[in-house]
Amino acid sequence: MLKGSSDSFLTRSILNTFAALIFAMAWSPGAQAVPSYARQTGLACEACHTVFPQLTPFGRIFKASGYTLSNTSKVQDIDRIKHYLMSLSDTPPISAMVVVSTSSAARAADPDSSRTSTDFPQQLSLFYSGAITDNVGAFIQATYSDQSGTFGIDNTDIRFADVATLYGHDVIYGLSLNNNPTVQDLWNSTPAWGQPFFTSAVLQGPAASTKVEGAMAQSVAGLSLYTFVDQSIYAEVGVYRSALQGASVAQNASTTNDIITGVAPYWRVAYEKDWGQNSWELGTFGLDASLHNPTTIAGEAVNQSLQAGPTDRFLDIGIDTQYQYIDDDNQVTVVGRGIRENQRLDATFPLGFADNPSNHLTTWDVVGSYYWRRQLGATLGYFALNGSRDATYFGSVNGRPDSNWINAEVNYLPWLNVKLGLQYTAYMKFSGATSNYDGQGRNASDNNLIYGYVWIAF
Amino acid sequence: MTSLNWISISVCALAAMVAVPAQAQTTSAPQIIKRVCANCHGPDGNSTSATFPRLNGQQASYLTAQLKNFRGHSRGDPHAMAYMWGMAAPLSDEQMSDIAKYLSSRKPTEPQKGGALADEGRKIYADGVDANNIPACGACHGDHGEGNGTIPRLAGQHADYLKTQLEDFRSLLRNNEVMHANTKDMTNHQIEAVVSYLANE
Repeated sequence: MLKGSSDSFLTRSILNTFAALIFAMAWSPGAQAVPSYARQTGLACEACHTVFPQLTPFGRIFKASGYTLSNTSKVQDIDRIKHYLMSLSDTPPISAMVVVSTSSAARAADPDSSRTSTDFPQQLSLFYSGAITDNVGAFIQATYSDQSGTFGIDNTDIRFADVATLYGHDVIYGLSLNNNPTVQDLWNSTPAWGQPFFTSAVLQGPAASTKVEGAMAQSVAGLSLYTFVDQSIYAEVGVYRSALQGASVAQNASTTNDIITGVAPYWRVAYEKDWGQNSWELGTFGLDASLHNPTTIAGEAVNQSLQAGPTDRFLDIGIDTQYQYIDDDNQVTVVGRGIRENQRLDATFPLGFADNPSNHLTTWDVVGSYYWRRQLGATLGYFALNGSRDATYFGSVNGRPDSNWINAEVNYLPWLNVKLGLQYTAYMKFSGATSNYDGQGRNASDNNLIYGYVWIAF
Repeated sequence: MTSLNWISISVCALAAMVAVPAQAQTTSAPQIIKRVCANCHGPDGNSTSATFPRLNGQQASYLTAQLKNFRGHSRGDPHAMAYMWGMAAPLSDEQMSDIAKYLSSRKPTEPQKGGALADEGRKIYADGVDANNIPACGACHGDHGEGNGTIPRLAGQHADYLKTQLEDFRSLLRNNEVMHANTKDMTNHQIEAVVSYLANE
């Protein structure tokens, strides 16, 4: 799987674990459902969600409006022209979620590790999510992860939003301060809140991934301006900058590698059409990041001056679509997404960490899910990625990162905020090959995983 | 883009967040409807989805009564509980009355015409069905389903919404003595027929 400059088992284990962690982090666990929103609005979960974290059209409006819709009593103050100086909810918008899970892989990741794994908890998150003023709201998540043993800031989206009528059109407009490209998006077809919503912490995934698919989660700070016109046309532009920089911060990999030069622009345009019980969206999004001291997929790192060194440029362009049918008995959601990344390796290639001066990487997926009465559900997804042949950069034995896999899940919700899931991930191709992809005899299907979990939000 | 420019933008954005005042204290009924109600019930109450009933042109006294029932929790069918209990909780009597008056002044949606089932529904609506203890709906709901006072307009409502309400009256999931008496022996086919006559998809 990885370019092994040494035959050392320990080195291979470390590199494999590193790659797995990257994958696990890239599949940022979905946690958009927050009970504090229910406490704030008095609305049951079904108003905003088919089944958490999937959003309904109304849920998208709630998010676009800055999480401020509120029916709780507040502490308020006004000035002498009756404008609000403060509007603070009596009930602090605190919630929590916990996931307990067990996993079983077809073959252990390496001879030293177990084939099965149990996580208690796999994840425990605390949320401060709700209105801060009548026009400012937040989604702030802090997460304890059992596998890494760390507690830290997770997805965060702080918004200002307001509504206006322009030429007879209803316009929601606002600003989002967030730490993960697409975490602020309204649809479940972009990476941050896309399928699969939750996966095992020990799922081995292909190391290659486009930058917009979670590589920058929680290591950037972004500001974007957006508008949602007539609940139909959405447009957003923003910029991202690497966080955790500066001489005053302790030196670690986060502060010296994959640092965005200046800012990385982000853009998003989408169109949604609602009719009867149906909703359909089509959109595009993009991220243009030039990185100092980039790390390659194979795990090599460029370590040069952050002041003057060359950068690798990653231009990601995505297209996405989402269809929903929602009534009391049936909830159907189908999403499709494709992302094309052009990689210009001006820092990596001259140092010999890549075979080509530029590469491309394409990822795409189609996922369909059906729920009966929000209680019993099934989801089936097909995922694929393919890219240039570059053995040094991608670290795969045959040079290509190509992988494809299926993810299938069944769910049971005895209550709207308690989700039981049984998930199966099956790889047909992994890091370039179906069999012996790492040159050591490991097959794609050895990474197949059965995963059972309980996800409770309260 | 230089660091300084990025910092400037951030500072301006944060200042904007702080400086822009929230809306003035008294929010008028049209403003409440546009900011909150319209997200589910559609602009001026003409909703797209049958989960949320059309409110445009609905009887003002009926709307006020329902809002009070939501706020007081005396109407407890599933969607009332899931959506409207929260929505109605902060409304004052005056706001309810203003909202109701505004929505009742909007142009109502007309029923869709035609079909054999709708003809059967029209007979049930106009004459009732003695055998099933169904009185003539029109006697209270008006000759053209337009309603009267606290008795709601039915004409032009979403078909699935009307159907769900009749089923809920029949099962007492929606607690209304009079409508329960009127529907307790109504068959599913009769419900489909009368809904077909009254509704607009």
